[in-house]
Amino acid sequence: MPLLKEDTHAQQSKLAEYCKTGVKPDLIGVIQENLHHYRRLVFNIGIDTIETAYPITYRFLPDEIWDKLVYDFYAEHKCKTPQVWRMPMEFYEYCVEKDIQAKLGYRFLNDLLYFEWLEMEVHTMDDIAYPPIKTEGDWLNNILALNPEHKLVKFTYPVHMLAATELEGKAGDYFLLMYREKESGRVQCMDISILYAYILEQLQNGATLQEILTEADTLFQINNFEMLKEHALNFVNDLKQREFILGFLNT
Amino acid sequence: MQLKDNKHIGIGFRKDFSEELLASDILKPAFIELAPENWIGMGGYWKKQLDKAAEKYPITCHGLSLSIGSPDDLDLDFLHKIKKFIKQYNVQIYSEHLSYAKCDNAHLYDLLPIPFRKDAVKHIISRIKQVQDVLEMPLAIENVSYYTPVAAEMDEATFISEIVNGSGCNLLLDVNNVYVNSFNHKYNAKEFITKLPLDKVAYIHMAGHEQISDTVIIDTHGEAIIDPVFDLFEYTTVLLKPVPVLLERDFNIPELEELQGEITRMETIVSKTWKKEHAIA
Repeated sequence: MPLLKEDTHAQQSKLAEYCKTGVKPDLIGVIQENLHHYRRLVFNIGIDTIETAYPITYRFLPDEIWDKLVYDFYAEHKCKTPQVWRMPMEFYEYCVEKDIQAKLGYRFLNDLLYFEWLEMEVHTMDDIAYPPIKTEGDWLNNILALNPEHKLVKFTYPVHMLAATELEGKAGDYFLLMYREKESGRVQCMDISILYAYILEQLQNGATLQEILTEADTLFQINNFEMLKEHALNFVNDLKQREFILGFLNT
Repeated sequence: MQLKDNKHIGIGFRKDFSEELLASDILKPAFIELAPENWIGMGGYWKKQLDKAAEKYPITCHGLSLSIGSPDDLDLDFLHKIKKFIKQYNVQIYSEHLSYAKCDNAHLYDLLPIPFRKDAVKHIISRIKQVQDVLEMPLAIENVSYYTPVAAEMDEATFISEIVNGSGCNLLLDVNNVYVNSFNHKYNAKEFITKLPLDKVAYIHMAGHEQISDTVIIDTHGEAIIDPVFDLFEYTTVLLKPVPVLLERDFNIPELEELQGEITRMETIVSKTWKKEHAIA
């Protein structure tokens, strides 16, 4: 049998709901003129957290649209995470679920929000153990060791390259490599082609460059292995310079 | 709890000044306090900063989202993450607010007032015991500031005392919150303190606040501590055994010299009353 009586639970629920919606509750024994402080304090924490996480979207959307979006999110959504800094991820998921981009007529909104969240996620995500590496090896036939703290993402709009005001009409296939530098913790972004995205994806899966390029030569109908190899080695070398490719996996 | 340099006053570890704190000796806290919610599962730059801080200072934890007064079930998965964090950083004190921040499966990320009622007392006692069983250490609960009571059937001091005595937990006495509540609800702060189970006080919080009208003070942690709160602190320390004391400053962060000034002032106060103590049990 629950120790908390239904009426006490109801009083707590009404106050919590008021903080979410701003609709005045019927509560027992409250100081009416002070009640609004709770709504204000709760709502301000939510707004500050979301605006800090999505500064580009916040600046891009007209104030009245942004305010309504945040208001609706707080009123309709039940935040699940106990960690407030992770809450903006739920804001993104809410916008996707409610198809806000279609309602507002900004077809790139989901990509923009995800890009902004991703930057925060890569910066803060839990440390991932680096693989054992060796510095000497064969670029084509050894498995390459990658910085494990990265995300490889496909976007429909080039949200990582253009200002939000320039995105309309730019739909296509865009690939972004985002990774965290080991020592500084800084987040780096690289726009890459679909071919290089494919190569990276296969490297992640543990294939050798020779295996990947043999497949890619046919898959992308290049039919010029030597040229493909030259470009791929340049790409890999660039990633090595950027310390994204760490060396050769020491198995 | 062994404190740095046998002093008593710590400071809330904020990202805003973490670099300066770690790189200089302007601030000389005996320990640092952090909210585990803000650090659990975080890697990269901030994890490195946290690890550096843990090498330099003892750590206490002050939770935000356990929601001990919630009608909802306890989030045991989250509680186990806290336990792991506490062990990892050798945390000696874990405290939470006597309030609720989650209701009907929605987190609100702020502290709402619990109805001061008998059934709420029993409910919270049961939850505190559950938390202490999982963590295998005592929980310290903090008296929170509140701007309105809700459906109260007893006074605040009785509510707090019954929970502390019934659960066997410790009390985190927030002196600023007593001051804020005594102003907002027009009671005598010193009398209120004497009604609390002072033998259970394991930790003290001190902070600044903002008076926004003739009748309301908001507990902001964004201002310097005012003299009447220092006076109430001095009054309180005479009644207590030595415990760690925390300066909370979460917003509107001033130069570190100013924060150190507040730490020094509190250290001077406790050195008069707790002068013979070197370590805090």
